[in-house]
Amino acid sequence: MGRLFNQMTRGKKKLFAVSALGMMGGLLLLPVLLSMTAVAGGGGAPAGGPPADVVAAQKAGAEGEEKKVEMGRDVYYKTEGPVIGMPAPITADNETYYPRYNFESRVLLWVANQQHLYYGSFVLAVPIFCMCIEFAGMVSKDKAMAKKYDQLAYDFIKISLTAYSLTAILGGILIFTFLTLYPAFFGYLSGIFRPVMHIYALMFVAESGTLYIYYYGWDKMREGVLKWLHLSMSVVLNVIGTTLMMLANSWIGFMMSPAGVDEQGRFLGNIWHVIHTALWNPLNVHRILGNMAFGGGVVAAYAAYRFLSSKTDEERAHYDWMGYIAMSLGVAFLIPLPFAGYWLMREVYAYRQQMGITLMGGLLAWLFIIQATMIGILFLTTNYYLWQALGRMTGGERFQKYIKYLVFILVVGLLVFITPHTIVMSPAELKAMGGQQHPVLGNYGVMSAKNGGINAIIMTTILSFIWYQRGNRVPTVSWAKFGNIFMGCFFVVAQINNIWLACYGYFIPANVRIGLSVPQVAGTLSCLLLMTPLNLAMLKGARPLGPIQWGKIAPRSQYALIMLATAFTWMMGLMGYIRSSVRLFWHVNEVMRDNSPWAYTHTIGFAANVISFNVLFFWVTIMFVFWLGTLGAKKVPVTAPAGQPIPSPQPATGH
Amino acid sequence: MTWLKLVEGYMPMQMITELAICILAFSIVNYLLKRAGMGLPKFWAGIFVFAFVLWYLKYRIYPPIPFSVRAIYGTVTACGIFMWVSGSQPEWEEFKRPIINVLDAKTGFTKAMRLALLILLPIGLWGFAYNSFLPSFDEPIELRTVHPAPPATTKVHGKTYVLQTASNPYRINPQGKYDQGYTDSHIVDQSMGRLMKNVNSAEDNPWDPNAKGYIKHVREGGEIFFQNCHFCHGDNLNGRGLWAFAFNPIPANFTDAGTIAQLQETFVFWRVAKGGIGLPGEGFPWASVMPPWEQHLTVDEIWKVVMFEYWHTGYYPRTWD
Repeated sequence: MGRLFNQMTRGKKKLFAVSALGMMGGLLLLPVLLSMTAVAGGGGAPAGGPPADVVAAQKAGAEGEEKKVEMGRDVYYKTEGPVIGMPAPITADNETYYPRYNFESRVLLWVANQQHLYYGSFVLAVPIFCMCIEFAGMVSKDKAMAKKYDQLAYDFIKISLTAYSLTAILGGILIFTFLTLYPAFFGYLSGIFRPVMHIYALMFVAESGTLYIYYYGWDKMREGVLKWLHLSMSVVLNVIGTTLMMLANSWIGFMMSPAGVDEQGRFLGNIWHVIHTALWNPLNVHRILGNMAFGGGVVAAYAAYRFLSSKTDEERAHYDWMGYIAMSLGVAFLIPLPFAGYWLMREVYAYRQQMGITLMGGLLAWLFIIQATMIGILFLTTNYYLWQALGRMTGGERFQKYIKYLVFILVVGLLVFITPHTIVMSPAELKAMGGQQHPVLGNYGVMSAKNGGINAIIMTTILSFIWYQRGNRVPTVSWAKFGNIFMGCFFVVAQINNIWLACYGYFIPANVRIGLSVPQVAGTLSCLLLMTPLNLAMLKGARPLGPIQWGKIAPRSQYALIMLATAFTWMMGLMGYIRSSVRLFWHVNEVMRDNSPWAYTHTIGFAANVISFNVLFFWVTIMFVFWLGTLGAKKVPVTAPAGQPIPSPQPATGH
Repeated sequence: MTWLKLVEGYMPMQMITELAICILAFSIVNYLLKRAGMGLPKFWAGIFVFAFVLWYLKYRIYPPIPFSVRAIYGTVTACGIFMWVSGSQPEWEEFKRPIINVLDAKTGFTKAMRLALLILLPIGLWGFAYNSFLPSFDEPIELRTVHPAPPATTKVHGKTYVLQTASNPYRINPQGKYDQGYTDSHIVDQSMGRLMKNVNSAEDNPWDPNAKGYIKHVREGGEIFFQNCHFCHGDNLNGRGLWAFAFNPIPANFTDAGTIAQLQETFVFWRVAKGGIGLPGEGFPWASVMPPWEQHLTVDEIWKVVMFEYWHTGYYPRTWD
């Protein structure tokens, strides 16, 4: 009887917990739903509407007769709409429009914005990882492994919690910077986006609430239905986070490629047009992937930091594993990132040719060379980490002797990829060269060769990854020999196809050449999407040569992880600067002119210094966050001793 | 090292192939030496490869590669060599051994080496610092924007042209319709050393008495080119005209894949019409002496000469479709 009573009480408790959480979730989402209805109704109050006295005068004048509605033409969609906003302010270089300290306001805003973005990206990416890892733990049949995954997801979210507070603080600093230094511009922008601004703020409330319940409810919601509920909360958390990011993207999309306003910048009543600008979707996709790669890099750096400061083999084993998973997740999103970037640039060219040329052929072209260098560093470092990781497996040395050939392909690919079209040189060098273009290297400076270079690098990275998967195993399937030959031929043919198309691109019209990137990318993606599963199929029931000795990896590999994360951070800072400075002397492209004294493009050296400062500042503060994370650690979250095999299944790679 | 020719049209691949062959040959030789028990230690192998690449870039490739590019290539090569020598733990140990031996200084030779390094390294650094601080009378390094972004529109002889949508009115098929596909198929053949595809055809040979339509306009463009442009841009359009070397930088080489082949036809139209003086702020340091040809040529003449440049070089103007 007592047992039955206990069971009923437990059942009631569970029911109560589920209902309470459901209600809480509903309440958290309620503001969002309410705000959505405002958007559906055309954005609520007219954005940037005329002042109250003007409205009163208009009302008085129009008494008794029907008010005439002025119509305007959308600068992008070319549709007609009622003018219900004020024109974009025509600013002047004075304290009214641009209040200032004795310092360049633009740089202050740049730093505030960049720091907010770094932390924002991090706290948006980490919950996505948590969701994936927690799910992997839940579906894992191996109890020990499930526990490890769960602990890892918890470690991830713990890091992001402190970072979340910092994101909010930095967001506040950013708004104050806008209000105090660029009041006219911020007033105009917030007028246009007024309904969405509220949604943004309310979604932040929803995000915070969900995150706190998700984190603090981890232990309480450990088993059964509650665990699934916990996981579903991470889904809600990520939906809110992604929506937040997309809303923020709509502001920068509007600044680059305005829509929903007329030529004077007057709002035409359709908030969806304002949000859904020409560059919004490419920016969304690019930023999601970028955030994920960045988040993976930062967590990998955290793991590397903990690995290097570990006192015991157990700790080293755990953080080696954590670094590996974070790196794998980051790189998984890094691989499609260049293709998303390609789409974004294509849309930029389609929107405004001048903008595209300024970015890639003109004023900012050298920054793209720096970006190419950073991309190269990311891929080279990834390869290096995988080669080092082979060292912790018995049998990995079989592949290490071929590293030199991969190095050659990677280096040649990178050299081609980073060769500048506009070469920095002294007039004497220019004269000796006989013109601006070098007859040999000039050909590497254009897109056809660069596509070949980057695809060669990505294919080599995929090959390194396949070798890593095979590190300590020998395929025993009956068709192993055939599989190996097929795989080898596939890679060779894909690489030949890539190089051939890169050369062929010089002999055909540019519009056809752009199309060549499709078969090049198809070759690379085929290597990834066909060869990786084929490799896994070959490794089914494979003969193990020895265990993976987690923690027995060279410290160099951990520095590689830190380098990877730093390169991600630097590249994000650089690309953000490029994206923003392509507007040149416009606050809102072709709509609101920047008349501040800082409406010029910085020199490359100055920009690089500010980016480096931002990177340094971020890493100093994130180190503080990491340190805070260690303060709360009570015990080492690992059970497997170093040097011992970790039971399968292994991390998401199937390894 | 100019006795080994760089073959025009194949130079980029030739450079990579030569490097690959040299490194492969080095690997084979080193492998054979290793088998004979005389293999080059990893440390010296790394230094040898690095020195070879630097030598190759400085002395093999001509015209000379500017220092900034050689510095980039050298850095990447050094990173690649580091990745190679530290790819696995045994290799890294082998690479480090001579360095550790010198630092430990357990033999007379290594002791002497360590002492020499202790003296030479600071002297080397001092020399480097001294050189850096020496006043230089060289012209400053320029980061020239070769292809500044064009304006959205340009006004030539009173008419406004939208650069993104305007097209060459003489790029037409026999039916008189704008047809880039047709005109592209009647340019010179790049793979044949820029020769006409069919010299006996009135459709391919601008100087055929029966030439009409597009190809006749190419001839007219050619006449304008040789009356006005070839003095600087050269009779082969390679930027080596009679007066070319009086200018710095020398005029654009249209046969290079990085010039008109990368540009929309309207971009070239705008540059010809406005000249160096019409370059936008982004075109810093405005290093171009080309006159604004709108002051000397009609709009039709500019379109024709642009079309001739594409025809003669065998390139196609860039399009965005």
